[in-house]
Amino acid sequence: MNSTSSAQPTALLIAALGGEGGGALAEWLVDAATRAGLPVQATSVPGVAQRTGATSYYIEWLAAPAPAGAQPVFALMPVPGRVDILLASELLEATRMVERGFVSPERTLLITARHRVLTTAEKMAMGDGRFDSERLLATVQGLAQHCLALDLQALTARHRTVISAVLFGALAGSGRLPWPRAVSEAVIRDSGLGVEASLAGFAAAFDAAAAALPHAALPAPSTAAPAALSDPGLPSVLALAEARLTDYQNAAYAARYRARIAALQATLPASADPEAEAALSEAARHLALWMSYEDVIRVADLKTRRERFERVRAEAQAGPDDIVQIREHLKPGLDEIAAIAPRRLGQWLMQRAQRRQAAAPGPRGNGITLHTSSIRGFLTLRLLAALRPLRPHSLRFAEEDAAIETWLAALAHGLPLHAGFARQLAQLPRLRKGYSDTFVRGKVAYERVFDTCVAPRLINGHRPDDDAARALAQAITAALADPEHQALNHAIGAPPAAPRSGGGSGGGSGGSQPLVFHPRVSHGAGGPGASR
Amino acid sequence: MRAPRSTPSTSDAGQPASGRRPTCHPKRHNEETILERSFHEEIRALRLGAGEVFHGEGILAVTKALLQSGVSYVGGYQGAPVSHLLDVMVQARDEMATLGVHVEACTNEASAAAMLGASIMYPVRGAVTWKSIVGTNVASDALSNLSSPGVIGGALIIVGEDYGEGASVIQERTHAFAMKSSLWLMDPRPNLPTIVHCVEQAFELSEASHTPVILELRIRACHVRGSFVAKDNRQPAIGTHQLMAEPAPFNYEQLSHPPVTFGHEKHKGAVRLPAARRFIVERGLNELFDGPRQGLGLIVQGGLYNTLIRALQQFGLADACGVSQVPMLVLNVVYPLVPGQVEDFCRDKQSVLVVEEGQPEFIEQEIATLLRRAGIQTPLHGKDHLPMAGEYTAEVVLAGLAQWFDAEQLADLTAPAHALLADVASHRALAAQLLGQALPARPPNFCIGCPERPVFSALKLVQREIGAMHISTDIGCHALATFAPFSFGNSILGYGMSLASGAGVRSFQQRRPVAIMGDGGFWHNGLLSGVSSTLLNQGDGVLVIMKNGYTSATGTQDLVSTPDGAVRRQAEAASATDSELTIERTLQGMGVKWLRTVHNYRVGNVRDVLREAFTTPERGLKVVIAEGECQLERQRRIRPLRAAALKAGRRVQRTRYGVDDETCTGDHSCVRLSGCPTLTVKPSRDPLKTDPVASVDNGCVGCGLCGEVAQAAALCPSFWRADVITHPSGWERWRDRLRRRVISWMQT
Repeated sequence: MNSTSSAQPTALLIAALGGEGGGALAEWLVDAATRAGLPVQATSVPGVAQRTGATSYYIEWLAAPAPAGAQPVFALMPVPGRVDILLASELLEATRMVERGFVSPERTLLITARHRVLTTAEKMAMGDGRFDSERLLATVQGLAQHCLALDLQALTARHRTVISAVLFGALAGSGRLPWPRAVSEAVIRDSGLGVEASLAGFAAAFDAAAAALPHAALPAPSTAAPAALSDPGLPSVLALAEARLTDYQNAAYAARYRARIAALQATLPASADPEAEAALSEAARHLALWMSYEDVIRVADLKTRRERFERVRAEAQAGPDDIVQIREHLKPGLDEIAAIAPRRLGQWLMQRAQRRQAAAPGPRGNGITLHTSSIRGFLTLRLLAALRPLRPHSLRFAEEDAAIETWLAALAHGLPLHAGFARQLAQLPRLRKGYSDTFVRGKVAYERVFDTCVAPRLINGHRPDDDAARALAQAITAALADPEHQALNHAIGAPPAAPRSGGGSGGGSGGSQPLVFHPRVSHGAGGPGASR
Repeated sequence: MRAPRSTPSTSDAGQPASGRRPTCHPKRHNEETILERSFHEEIRALRLGAGEVFHGEGILAVTKALLQSGVSYVGGYQGAPVSHLLDVMVQARDEMATLGVHVEACTNEASAAAMLGASIMYPVRGAVTWKSIVGTNVASDALSNLSSPGVIGGALIIVGEDYGEGASVIQERTHAFAMKSSLWLMDPRPNLPTIVHCVEQAFELSEASHTPVILELRIRACHVRGSFVAKDNRQPAIGTHQLMAEPAPFNYEQLSHPPVTFGHEKHKGAVRLPAARRFIVERGLNELFDGPRQGLGLIVQGGLYNTLIRALQQFGLADACGVSQVPMLVLNVVYPLVPGQVEDFCRDKQSVLVVEEGQPEFIEQEIATLLRRAGIQTPLHGKDHLPMAGEYTAEVVLAGLAQWFDAEQLADLTAPAHALLADVASHRALAAQLLGQALPARPPNFCIGCPERPVFSALKLVQREIGAMHISTDIGCHALATFAPFSFGNSILGYGMSLASGAGVRSFQQRRPVAIMGDGGFWHNGLLSGVSSTLLNQGDGVLVIMKNGYTSATGTQDLVSTPDGAVRRQAEAASATDSELTIERTLQGMGVKWLRTVHNYRVGNVRDVLREAFTTPERGLKVVIAEGECQLERQRRIRPLRAAALKAGRRVQRTRYGVDDETCTGDHSCVRLSGCPTLTVKPSRDPLKTDPVASVDNGCVGCGLCGEVAQAAALCPSFWRADVITHPSGWERWRDRLRRRVISWMQT
C-alpha cells in the first residue's frame, strides 16, 4: 500500500455540456503536464453527448516524473470516491458527479461554475420546473472536501472568452496543479485562437479561485434547508398592483382593484392568522395579474414602448452604430379580434370563429410579421394600443370580469372557513395563462378545477377542510403537469363528454354555474367602464 | 513519455475561443479549408518518422500504425468512436496517394467489409473501420464470405466497441462474430504503445493464418490521449503508385462458392486456427504478469487491464506502475484462445477469475471447456462474481474482486475495498437526501438552429389536428426527437430501417404511419430496404427524409447528395441543400409519385405538407423531403465569412430572436414545441409573476424556429426578431434615422 500511495496519480474529472470546450481544456492540461515532464493521460466519452448533453473528461497525472524505465498505468475512468479534483462548467453537472458518488468529503476539491443551464425537462414545465439551485449548491458544498462555486459565467462573458479557459484559470488558482502558472499560460498562448481573451479569462478566474480558496474549507450540509417562499407581503403587492393597473387601464381601474381587495380583507378572521394573510396576499397578486390580462391592446402598447426598443437593442447585443430592425411574429385570430370587439359584435364574431374551427380544425390565425421599427408598423400597433378606453366594453373584459367576480365570491366565502383552502384557491388563476389555444386550454383547466374542487366544497353548507385544500392543491399541480391534461384527468376525472364552451360566452363555468353560496357585491355590467 | 514533444496537440485546442464547438465531429475531405474543419495537426502526426514521439488520441495512433504497417488500401464507414480514423485519412487523401495508399469513404459497412476482398487474391494489406456492434451487423454478410476463402494479404478491421457510458448503440459483443466466422479478435491493453504494436502484429497474424483480424477498441481507448515512439511509414509493394499489369489468375478455390466452401470450413479449423495459435504464442501477443500470490490467477481482456489494475490498487495489490501481486494472463487476443497457455496458467492455482465484459461469457465458457478437457480441476470464476451485463467500471470490478476474495477466504484483503464501497454508498445516500429528488437528466439535443427540429415541431402540430400516428424512427441526429420535448418514436430498428420497419405496422393502422429517415440513413440502407420494398408492394405510408446534406450525427461527412463546394460557397448564409436534387431524382426515377420538398424552417408549410401526406386519398408511398442544411456546416462556413466582412467594414446583417418578458405568461408552450438550447426560461422581472418567463440566450443563431412556431401554432405574440445591421449603407442609415426620430416623437 505504501509503495503505491507515494506515487499515486492525481485524478481529475471534468463535467461539462457537449460543445462547451471540455475537450479543449483536457488537451490544455495534457499539454501542460507533458511540457512539465509529468506522465499524463486523458480520455473522454464524447459520443452523441456532445449535442449539448451531459458529458465528461477524465485525466490522470503523476505529480513527479516517473522513475526511469517505469511506465505508470493510468485508469480510463474515475473510481467513485477517488477523484481528487472535479471541475464543472455548470452547477447541475457538478452535482450529478456528486450524485454518482465520485466526490469524496475526504479528498475532493470541487470547482464549479455557479450558474445553471436549464435542462429541457426543467424548461418545458408549464409552471416552474427549475430544480432548486440552493439544494444543488448545498449538495456540492456538503460533499466535497473543499468547494469553490464561482460565477465563472460572468468571468467568461466579461472577458469574451470560453468557459474552458476560465475553468483552467480557476484550477490553476486553486494551487493544485503541479506546474507553474507560466506553463499553463504558455499552453494557452500556443493554442492559437482567441489567445488574449483566453488569457484574460484565465487570469481573472485564477485570482477569483485563489481569493476564494481559504474560505472554501467548510462543508455545510446543514444549510440545505429549501429556499423560503418569497412572499413579497401585501403592502408591496398592493403598491405594485396599483401601478400596474393604472398603467394597464386607468386610476379608476386601480381603485376598483383596491376596493375588491378591501372587500376580501374584511372577511379575514379577527385574530391574526398567517395562513389567511398569505392567502390574501396571494389573491391580491393574482387579482392584479388577472385584471391586467393580456389582450391585443395591451400587447400593442407594451411592444411600442421606448424601454422595450432599448431592451431589444441590448439583448441583441447591437453596437451603438448598428441598425436594429424589430419584427413581431403575430397571428391575430378571429377570436382575438372578437375579444376586443364590443360585447355583442364580439359574441357574433366568436361564434363564427368557433364554427370555422369546427369545420377546419387546426391552429387559428394567420401569421403576420410586423415591422415595428418601421413607421407604418409602429403606427399600426399604436392604433391598436389606442383602443384602450374601449376595453371595458369588450367581450373579453366582460367574460374575465364575470369570472373574477365568481372567484372573488368563492374566496370571500372560503377565507373565513378554511385559510389553507383559500390559499390554494387564491393560486387557482395561475392556470389561466397564455394566448389563443394555450389560453383556452388553461381556461378549461381552471373551470374544471373550479367546478370539481372548489364549488362543491362551498355550496349547500359544505365547509372546506384539509382534504379539500389538499385535493385543490393536487388538482392545480396536475393541471400544470402536462398540456394534454392527462394528469388532470387522473386527478379529478375525465372531462364531461360534451366539450365546454371554449372561448365562448359568459366567462366560462365559474360564472355560469348556479352557485348557492352568496356572491358578494355584484358589480353591474358596465361598472368598470362607468368608473372612468 | 518524457521525450520532446514533436507534435502539438491536435485539432480541438485549435479552437478554444470559438464558443460552441463539436468535440468529436471532425469533417473529412478535400480542398476548401475555409468551409471545413481542418485536420492539419493530425495529418502532421501521421508523417512522423522513426524515433519521433507521437502525441495524440488512440484512434489516430491506430491510423499511424496502419501506415507503419504498409497498408495498400483503407476504407470504412464513420461512426463514434472511430470516425476520426477515416476523417483524417480522407482529408489526407493526396498524401496517402503519394504513399500509394488508396482511401475509400464507403457508403456503409457492408461495402467497407467487401473491400477487404482485395486481400483474398492479392498480397496487399488493407484495413477498414466502423462502429460496432451495429456496423459489424451490417457488414456480416461480406465478413462471412471474406473469412471463408481467407486472405493472403493482411486484412484488418478496426471496430469501435461502442459499449457503456457514452455509447449510442445496443450492447452486444463483436466477439460473437469473430467466433461464428472464424475471424481473430484482438482487444489490446489501452495504451498507445500496446495498441500500435497490436495493429502491426495483427497484419502479420492475418497473413500467418490467412485470416482477417478484428481489433476492437472501447470508446475511452479510442479517445485516450497518450504517446508512443513512431516508426517510418512503409510504402506498400502494390498500391496506387505501383499498378499491377494483370489481375490474379482464375482460382475457384478462392471463391466463396460451393463446393469449395465446404473445404474452407475444414481449413479454418485444421490449418488456420493452429497457425494463429502458434503465432500468438511465438510473438507473445498475450502477456503473462506473474506475482507472489501464486494460488490466485486473473485472466482479463486486454482492454480491461487498466481498470483491473486500478481496482487491485484499492486492495493494495498493485502499484502505480501496474505491478500486481496476483498473477495475470492478459489476453490481447481474445479469440482464439491458446489452450496450452490457458492450461499452464490455471494448472496449479486454487482459483482463477475471468474478467470479461459483456454477455454471454464466451471466454469463460471456452476456458471452462479447455480446463475440463485437460482434466484441470482449478475452480473457475467469472460471471458468478461479476455482473453478466453492463460496463465493467472500476467500481464494478472492485466489487467483483472483493466478492471473489471473500469467497476465497481472503477477507483480510478486502477490508479497504469494503470501506471504500461503503463510503461511496453513504455519500450517494447523503447526496440523495440533500437533493430530495433525482436530478433532471440532460440527454443530447438538436444543435442550436438545427434544421430537423422544426420538422418535429410541425409533426407535433399535425398530431394535434389529426391525432397521433405510429412513428418509425431511425438512426441519426433526428433520433434525438425521441427525447423531450418531442418524445417521438415507436421503434428504432437500425440505420435506414425506419420505412422498412413500418411495413408490417401499416397493415393494421387506421392512421398512416410515418417513417423518419435522414439522408445518411437513406443512402446507407433506406433507399433499398425501405423505398424499393414499399414501391414493390405498393405500400401506403409516409416517409420523411431529412435532407441536411451530410451524415451529420457522425461528423458531417459527405454523401453522394452533399452539395458541392462551389454551391456551398455561393450559398453563404443560405441553405446550400435546396438546389441539390439527387435524392428527389432518385425517388422519381424509382417511381415515387407523391413527392414534396419543403424548407424546414417554414413550420407552417411543413405542417401543411405533412397534413396533406397523412390525409390525401392518394394511395402509395408519400415522400416528404424536409430540406435544410446542417447548421453545424452552415455555421462553420458563415462564421469566418462574417468575421472577414466585419473586419473589412462591409455590410453584415445578423438575425437574433428574443422574447418580450412583459407579455410572456410563463406557460412555456414554446419550449415544448421547440426544445432549442437557446430558448430557456429566466426569473420574471415582474415581481407579481412568480413563474419564470421564456427567454432566448446569446447562443441564438437566428434560425427563426421560435418565431415560426409562435405563428404556426398560434402560441403568443411575445417573440421578436431583431435584424442587426453592422456597417449599413448610407440609405439605410438615413432611413433609420428618420424612423427613429418619428417613432421617438410618438413615444413621448
